[in-house]
Amino acid sequence: MAEAIHKKLQSELEKYQQLQKDVSKSMSSRQKLEAQLTENNIVKEELALLDYQNTVYKIIGPVLVKQDLDEAKATVSKRLEYINGEIQRYETLLKEMERKSEQHREVLSSLQQEYQRAQGQAVGKV
Amino acid sequence: MASLHDQMAATGKVKRSKDLPQGVERLKEEHKKVVKDCRSQIEHWKKVENDYESLQDRLRTLPDKLSYDIMVPFGPLAFMPGKLVHTNELTVLLGDNWFAKCSAKQANALVEHRKKHVKNTLDDLQKVMKNFQNRADFTDDLEKLTGDTGDFADIREVINEEVVTKGKHRLAHKPNSKPKQEYLLELEEDKEKKESDEERATGLLSEEELWVRLDELDRQEELQDERYRLDSTDTTSSSEEEKEADGGSDVQVNGHQKENGWVPSSITGQMNGTNGSHPEDEEEEDCDEEAGNGLPTIYFSHTAEFKKVRINTGKNTTLKFSERNEQKAQTKRKKQSGKSNGHSPHESYKIKSPADIYRVFVDLVNGEPKPRKSILKSRSRENSVCSDTSESSTADFEERRAAFGRSWSHDDATHSDTSDGITEEESPTGTSPRTNGRFEAFTGTVIEKDPLPCSIPHLTIAPPALPTIPERKLEEVGPEAPQEPPKRMSKFKATRLHQK
Repeated sequence: MAEAIHKKLQSELEKYQQLQKDVSKSMSSRQKLEAQLTENNIVKEELALLDYQNTVYKIIGPVLVKQDLDEAKATVSKRLEYINGEIQRYETLLKEMERKSEQHREVLSSLQQEYQRAQGQAVGKV
Repeated sequence: MASLHDQMAATGKVKRSKDLPQGVERLKEEHKKVVKDCRSQIEHWKKVENDYESLQDRLRTLPDKLSYDIMVPFGPLAFMPGKLVHTNELTVLLGDNWFAKCSAKQANALVEHRKKHVKNTLDDLQKVMKNFQNRADFTDDLEKLTGDTGDFADIREVINEEVVTKGKHRLAHKPNSKPKQEYLLELEEDKEKKESDEERATGLLSEEELWVRLDELDRQEELQDERYRLDSTDTTSSSEEEKEADGGSDVQVNGHQKENGWVPSSITGQMNGTNGSHPEDEEEEDCDEEAGNGLPTIYFSHTAEFKKVRINTGKNTTLKFSERNEQKAQTKRKKQSGKSNGHSPHESYKIKSPADIYRVFVDLVNGEPKPRKSILKSRSRENSVCSDTSESSTADFEERRAAFGRSWSHDDATHSDTSDGITEEESPTGTSPRTNGRFEAFTGTVIEKDPLPCSIPHLTIAPPALPTIPERKLEEVGPEAPQEPPKRMSKFKATRLHQK
């Protein structure tokens, strides 16, 4: 009886750990997105400081490609929106994962209690 | 979090509660970690800022020459002599794989813009660091507090429940109590807090409120007839006063603290006094040091002192209405037992506070001690005496007495009846203005108006209130109509007349 509980405990624990890893992964990708967000914001502001005389380039691979100032501004804004959307997605994902990990935690604690009780009983029997 | 649960699983136990020291240790560790992180980040960003500064300098000087002779890095290991041309044309990385060709000055502007961001980040980090530093300090303090290792002492005041509730629920009877409602509410809240928490030294009232309240109380004080106090200096009241005075000096846990502690409590007492009985009346003074809950605990309570809060009962009586009955009872008791003032002067010589000095300077009129008269000029002060008003400063005091005295009608018969039991006002260790007032008052107001050729030597300054004392005596013989200040005869004349 105690062994069965023990096995259950182990499996639950593994699932929980997996969940935790996923959570941390999403967290890190979200942080990356945050960094990109701030960077693109700075680019947008700096593009605003330039005038049409400055040529704007974009690096595509090893090549610096000339870009129009307005085009560049538009591209940067689009990218910003995209990043914001991604962040929102990750937010919801993280919340989901948090909830699931909560559930798992509860299951784990209840299983542990059972296990302890079983252990106690086993000791009592012996 | 994962590691914790691993731990849990490994040990097979659920650690539900950590011991306090462990928890505190862990908390401190975490705080310190955050603070360290913040510090390293701040260093990093400061370096960035410095780099930008030097870059700006370079940009400023770069376009000075058309071309520079430099050593060009050639691969990772070699340099080659070369020339730096087109010194004003710069390709600037804007971030996220975007470049822009600009002049040196435009590049300068971009750098400035970036520096702004860096500064913002630095400020945020500083704030976070400070925040966590404070938290860490707080946990330290908390640990010391609970661990009984610091200089903290738990000061508790035990308050009698029923007395307190009595004071809380009543409303003021005075006509002009409305404007003070706010104080009422505030103070009641504060009072509740005080009951539940440790006694806080400075109280929860702001100083300004205290002074305002003091002023109001001063006004109230002067309405009270000193004859009450005189009559009331029977054994019980004077002993009470002595006790209170003694007690006042005994509680020297922290002199300043106590002083302030007195004021709010006495003020709250006054506040509630206007409404009802003083919650702290008739409490024994107790000053112990105990080690309770791992902290040295100091218990103390305020001794009873009948607060002479004035209410207009229409007969120039200014008592707390709740105390009038007691005073009447006391008067009756006293009269029944006969005038046993033998020991009152004796007791009054136990001077422990400035207030006691006033009590010493009493005249014996009809065998009863009566306070001396004030020498300050005030028309309406016919029946005012110099009081142990610990709260008032002379100047204001006199003005207010004048202002209020006029509005009162005198009925000295009832006065004398009801005056018993009116004991001293605030503790002598009141706030500094009070003490200042006391000093001032003493310099100006000691007069004796002794119609009887008593043995007590007295100054020969005629008191403004002289006419009324003999009148009062007459009234005790037979009641008279209320004498208002309309008799404006010169005080000196009056003195002469009476002394004849």
